[in-house]
Amino acid sequence: MTDSVLQTNGLTKYYGKDLALDHLDLNIPRGCICGFMGRNGAGKTTAIKLLLGLLKPTAGSASLLGCNSQQLTPKIRQRVGYVTEGHRLIRWMTIAQLEKYQRAFYPKQWDDKLFNDMIEYFEIPKKKKIKHISNGQRAQISLALTLAPNPELLIMDDPTLGLDPAIRRQFLEGMIKLIMSENRTILFSSHILADVERVANRIIVIDKGVLRANCTLEGFRGAVKKINVSFKTSVPESIDIEGLLHCRKDDKEIELTLVATSDEKIDKWAISAGADNYQPVKMNLEDQFIEYTAPKGRKRLFQWETH
Amino acid sequence: MAALWIQILPGSDIPIYKQVVEQIGQAIAKGALSIGDKLPAVRKLAAELVINPNTVARAYTILEQAGLVTTKTGSGTFVSDPKLRTKDAADINALTERIDTLITRGLNLGFESDELTSIFKERLAAFETKSKSRKKK
Repeated sequence: MTDSVLQTNGLTKYYGKDLALDHLDLNIPRGCICGFMGRNGAGKTTAIKLLLGLLKPTAGSASLLGCNSQQLTPKIRQRVGYVTEGHRLIRWMTIAQLEKYQRAFYPKQWDDKLFNDMIEYFEIPKKKKIKHISNGQRAQISLALTLAPNPELLIMDDPTLGLDPAIRRQFLEGMIKLIMSENRTILFSSHILADVERVANRIIVIDKGVLRANCTLEGFRGAVKKINVSFKTSVPESIDIEGLLHCRKDDKEIELTLVATSDEKIDKWAISAGADNYQPVKMNLEDQFIEYTAPKGRKRLFQWETH
Repeated sequence: MAALWIQILPGSDIPIYKQVVEQIGQAIAKGALSIGDKLPAVRKLAAELVINPNTVARAYTILEQAGLVTTKTGSGTFVSDPKLRTKDAADINALTERIDTLITRGLNLGFESDELTSIFKERLAAFETKSKSRKKK
């Protein structure tokens, strides 16, 4: 068994003339919860569909659990759970019918108790048809159907989009519960970065189809910094500092956004540039993400590994 | 061993592992957790707080490195006796630095030095009574 659960090599996808994904090289280790971040249209759904073999790449390749995504066998598919964007389920079926249908794909691993406990907890009658339940309830059913086979790899495409805080929390709880089982791996995309911060220990950032970060969450948190530098006279013409993403100039002040620049390097630069004083600016994950993917900023790739 | 006194605030500039470290540290200082008390198991706390188990493990490692807790293989993580901790120059420096920040803030706000002293004593007393009343139970 390889230790890479999910891998892509130069994965590229064009829709007609539009480049959706540009030479994506990913490798997600087993046992992590990975938050997949990127702005609308960045290519997250395309990447997920390519990984699952639901789309054909224009170039490059993807693999799941060591098997090429274009040739996934039913056996491999049984080990993978997938939650589609918008929780698309067969609308004319009742919950009981859908349960029976889904169960047939996972005969040996379906956890009846888990499924029933969840449905009971959600208080949704099993005889209801999918088309007659609310969006939130459909999301809950989709969560229960995906967790019941206890998947080794769970991939969720923006699962909490438009859901109320209570149901969102249920998805997070579901993820934490699954990751407690041995050797489980989760990849989920989301725009709610407070959720990503809560449950993920790794992140991937893509921006306009290009990989921008593939690292631990803490690595990213520690790497993206913003400092406010003040000068006694005027600000220098050019800013030459390692890891510069972008800078905003004012009369006697500049604001620098940096990635992976050590405090020593910042200190050294401040002295050489003749700065009067500088202060770090506090940022949460959302601030960091926005700064990191800012349209005018330099496009850097950040990969950082610890433990 | 309830762990519900830890409150996670995602979206803050303070990373979640640090929030766990700070709140457990505070619980120990205030006596809500006493010497020898067992901390919840990593997975249990992760499930309760709905955070990644690695985050809890990281917080526990930091608490252990700081000498606040000890992990005994197989039986769990326990609050250590702070008196057994050797305080080195770095500890004193770190503390001095923080106190200086507070003094600066206080003087900037216009407090006199004796006023600051009495506020400090008052706060210290609050910690001491809490930790004592807890131990008697």
